[in-house]
Amino acid sequence: MEIKSHLEELLSSGKFVVTAEIGPPRNADPEVIKKKAKILKGYVDAVNITDCQTAVVRVSSMASAVLVMSEGLEPVMQMTCRDRNRIGIQADLLGASALGIKNLLCLTGDHPKFGNHPQAKPVFDLDSIQLIKLVRGLKEGRFENGEEIKGRRPYFFIGAAENPFAEPFDFRPLRLAKKVKAGARFIQTQIIYNVEKFRKFMERCRELGLLDKVYILAGITPPKSLGMAKYMKYNVPGLEVPDEIIKRLEDAKDKKEEGIQIAVDIIQQVKEIPGVCGVHIMAIEWEEAVPEIVKRAGLYPREEAPSFMPPFVVEKVVEKVVEKPVEVIVEKIIEKPVEVIVEKVIEKEVPLEGEMAEEKIFTLIEILSDLKASLKSLKAGMESLEEGIARLEEEFLKKKEARPIRKEVIKRPEERPVERETFIEEKPKIEEKVEEVVVKPEAKEVKPEVKPEVKPEIKPEVKPEVKPEVKKEEAPEEIKPREEEKIEVKPVIEKPEAKEIVEEKTKVEVKPEVKLETKPEPEVKVEAIKIGGLKGIYRPLSERAKNLPQDLYMEKATGEIKEVVIGKGDRAIKVGGVSTLNFHFFEGEMKNGVKFAFEILDIKPEDWPESLSKYYRDVFHDPALWAKKCVEEYGAEAICLYLVGTDPNFLNLPPQHAKKVAEAVVKAVDVPIIVWGSGNAEKDVEVLREVADIVGERGAVIGPIVEANHRTLAAVAMGYNTPVIASSPIDVNLAKQLNILLENMGLPLDKILMDPSIGALGYGLEYTYSVMERIRLAALFAQDTKLQVPFICSIGREVWKTKEAGLPTDELMGKAESRGILMEALTGVTLALAGGDLLIMRHPKSIELCKELFRGLSMS
Amino acid sequence: MEEKGFKLSILCCNYTNLSEREDFFEVPVSLEIKRYPCSGKIEITDMLRALREGAKGVMVAGCMPGTCHNGRGSERAEKRVLGARKILEEIGLEPERISMFFVNRLDGEDFINKVKAFYREILNFELKGRERK
Amino acid sequence: MIIAERRPIPEILRNIENYQKILVLGCRGCVAICSAGGDREVSIVAEAIRLARTLQGKPIEVLEDTFIRQCDPEYLEPLKDYQGKVEAVVSLACGVGVNLIADLYPEIRVYPGVDTSFYGANLSLGEWVEKCRGCGDCIIDRTAGLCPIARCAKNLLNGPCGGSQGGRCEVRKDMPCIWHEIVERLKARGELEKLLEIWEPKDWRPAGGDGLRVRVREDLRLNGGKKPWR
Repeated sequence: MEIKSHLEELLSSGKFVVTAEIGPPRNADPEVIKKKAKILKGYVDAVNITDCQTAVVRVSSMASAVLVMSEGLEPVMQMTCRDRNRIGIQADLLGASALGIKNLLCLTGDHPKFGNHPQAKPVFDLDSIQLIKLVRGLKEGRFENGEEIKGRRPYFFIGAAENPFAEPFDFRPLRLAKKVKAGARFIQTQIIYNVEKFRKFMERCRELGLLDKVYILAGITPPKSLGMAKYMKYNVPGLEVPDEIIKRLEDAKDKKEEGIQIAVDIIQQVKEIPGVCGVHIMAIEWEEAVPEIVKRAGLYPREEAPSFMPPFVVEKVVEKVVEKPVEVIVEKIIEKPVEVIVEKVIEKEVPLEGEMAEEKIFTLIEILSDLKASLKSLKAGMESLEEGIARLEEEFLKKKEARPIRKEVIKRPEERPVERETFIEEKPKIEEKVEEVVVKPEAKEVKPEVKPEVKPEIKPEVKPEVKPEVKKEEAPEEIKPREEEKIEVKPVIEKPEAKEIVEEKTKVEVKPEVKLETKPEPEVKVEAIKIGGLKGIYRPLSERAKNLPQDLYMEKATGEIKEVVIGKGDRAIKVGGVSTLNFHFFEGEMKNGVKFAFEILDIKPEDWPESLSKYYRDVFHDPALWAKKCVEEYGAEAICLYLVGTDPNFLNLPPQHAKKVAEAVVKAVDVPIIVWGSGNAEKDVEVLREVADIVGERGAVIGPIVEANHRTLAAVAMGYNTPVIASSPIDVNLAKQLNILLENMGLPLDKILMDPSIGALGYGLEYTYSVMERIRLAALFAQDTKLQVPFICSIGREVWKTKEAGLPTDELMGKAESRGILMEALTGVTLALAGGDLLIMRHPKSIELCKELFRGLSMS
Repeated sequence: MEEKGFKLSILCCNYTNLSEREDFFEVPVSLEIKRYPCSGKIEITDMLRALREGAKGVMVAGCMPGTCHNGRGSERAEKRVLGARKILEEIGLEPERISMFFVNRLDGEDFINKVKAFYREILNFELKGRERK
Repeated sequence: MIIAERRPIPEILRNIENYQKILVLGCRGCVAICSAGGDREVSIVAEAIRLARTLQGKPIEVLEDTFIRQCDPEYLEPLKDYQGKVEAVVSLACGVGVNLIADLYPEIRVYPGVDTSFYGANLSLGEWVEKCRGCGDCIIDRTAGLCPIARCAKNLLNGPCGGSQGGRCEVRKDMPCIWHEIVERLKARGELEKLLEIWEPKDWRPAGGDGLRVRVREDLRLNGGKKPWR
């Protein structure tokens, strides 16, 4: 039969036990351990040997345990799961038992991160509970794998640690129960200062019926100094030091004396708690305090271990070197006067450490390094706090994304499948075509073939204007330009389509109409291009989709865009009034279609490319004539007067200038007028105030109104009852906000045109598109009434200032004029698809081209 | 003061300024101005490439936070500058050779002043580098 | 997804020190999603290499390409076109890609351009956190879906250790104690008794303790597959 350990004997006979702790040194000197053992001998029943506590390399707990035994003291070997897998652990356990070690404390172990080799690979093959179970298995004669141990089995009195103060607090007793279930017979707790909390823990253990199954030893540590107490309070996880303890130390003259007294007081208190079977004194760096504490607590003398015998010899006398054969058995070791040795020990040794490994108490060095680490993590904490605050600011003080609108977008995927099929078939063809077209007119003389077909339709309209640009080398020019344009009409149509399909689900609805012109008869396509594509091939959606349930592709808007009247009398135009996404005629109506305004300037333009200037050069000097030319020659239905000359950063012309120009223009034409200021918020107030006086009675639109000047200009507009342009930097929420501000000023929504600040093709067009689309979807499908306002898009200005629109004709870039026209028309068409209601453009041909397209789109 | 072969590269959002080379007559080095539709479009690669192609410093200019047309483009640019700087550090160049500037839109003077300040900073690096040699 | 991180440029430079023409090869799989080895990163790394080498006075020609994946032999086929044209390949794919290139194209000198880190989730722009360790024996059915193998510093299986404080882990104070969360969740579900059972030591073979891990689906294999695997 196995011989029980001394500790087990005492506990099982109901004695109140005292254990202490020794931390082995960080070198190979056996004397350190022996000396520590000598200090404790006679005052404790057993002593724990830590297993590389805080993951710092030290003499192994097994070797130290044997050294302690040589001093006649019973060791409790600690074993962690940090450094060994189940093979190493079992091997060491067999070895420990063979060496006569009988008490074993099973721990998970501190993470290497806390130690002096943080780079080490943490093993943790097992956890403490699995380790306990494994040890019990060994005792019962089987290895972890279930294999039988043949021959002598190891014997251990199995212990475990538990931290009553760690979180989750109410799980701790349950975890202790698990350890008991696994096979733990005694428990040494984390350091107790908060006796009340510990009492609750013990109460809970009693309820769980654990007290009959396990001996609980309360962990006690005398605080050596105020600093140490504070360190433990703030830096050791799961260690609660009540303020009262701190206070006692603060008030005490002799801190060490007070520390010892605190430990004694706590021992007295925990002793009375039912189920506490002993104390485990961890006097860190302060072993000599243990005898004093034990004495004062009335726990001295200790019962002598009856027949404690190490299995082999280590030389008994301190001075001599170990030389003797291992077999010789040494009897009792001298019990010498403790005090004397204590003195010596203290002088010589720096690292006197003692602690339970799983709990966090460190030697001075470790304390400092950990303090550093804590400071670091505190810093990190502060940083992440700052970050959090920054994020909160971002979240709450900045604009939010218009999510709901997105939802609307996603709502309508029903049509997709249908489209996709057709689209995929078509795409490659279209692309090829586009390429051909681009190359042909430029480089090669392949035109003849194409010409004839193109001619009949388009010639008459375009001839005169395009001519001048074309160089003389190419004889049959009249036709060519047309052909270019006509053919390129194709790309104009196709591109938006392709884009939409690729990037936006929503747009899908526009497609059916456009696509079908090309789609139905693949072979005819070429013709279609030449003809201009838009006429005569249309098949109504109802026919194309006759096999589909209507609700699969149709989603009617629930809102409607307000109608804004511009101008007065016969020539007045209405914009807006749409109850569907633009050109989705199968879902709703576009009462007024898309309107155009020709843009003129108050001064002679300086940076207009030749391809644009040549149409107006004769009237550049006089805005009135210019306006007149637009109306009479190019059929403008509205004029936008851009007062760029008043810009303080440009010519800074006075308001009177603007007024004069406006006067002249008003007299010259009878179509509705839009007056667009320089965009300088302050200047525009002065200028538009003056101008409104002139154009107000004509019902002209004035703008742009921005947030900075909305109060004054809204007042002006209301005074003359004119519509306004509400201009905001391309953003759904800003646009809405401005509308709300204006409405709050008393300006009704049907007097507002939104200018979302557009970007030209290649200069942010796609972003403009998506923002406009979101605004429009919110207006139509999310009942966002504040956005149910028509869009006004100042296209010409953005397009014609681009580098590409101004570059001359060359091999790479193609013809300057058609390039410019296409850029403007493409921007216009795209924005019209996105919801644009009133487009301000410059080139007569691009307006014509847009109109042509819209006519086609409107045929459903 | 004019340095032969001393080049600075300015990568900027088109909307931050309308300055042209002649506006920088006070900066006695060759300036390369590359405009992007938004500073958020300027990639780390663009910044590094500018250095490789001979620029001594790369100035990334974007709109003041909150005024970017595209919402947060200039903030993105700022982050990318951090990414580029990390690489510079790794390969042993002063990270400040790539710097982010937030510029008041169309405030040409502000912009030009920032360019000048940046030029002085880079000039310092160059002088130091020469001392070392 | 697999999370990786760009290696320091000097490390990459050291590997390609003696070459004059290389390919930086990205992957559009996980590493692209976690912004370590997609098209954009390829162009950054390539440009950084060019810049560094230019500064060293040893200009280098760097080609750039990005494959859909590097963990499938089929997708690596186009690499053949580079054979003989470049002296080395710096792959920004995860370690799988680099290994597969090394396996299939022994004559190509391939070097890693990223450190392959872990399996994680993208919590927010620029933040990735480990969620799984690929231990091959999923246990999260017992832990409310939260994995103590990946997310507990000590891989504990029997509940939180003594270092759990305020719901945080003592090893990484910026990380939650996952066992704390597991306990709280099971408690809320009234399933705490699940944790009272002693969890047996884990079989680590599926986690790689058994050497190269292989998965075979007989119902998918054709022509006997490639076994023995390399």
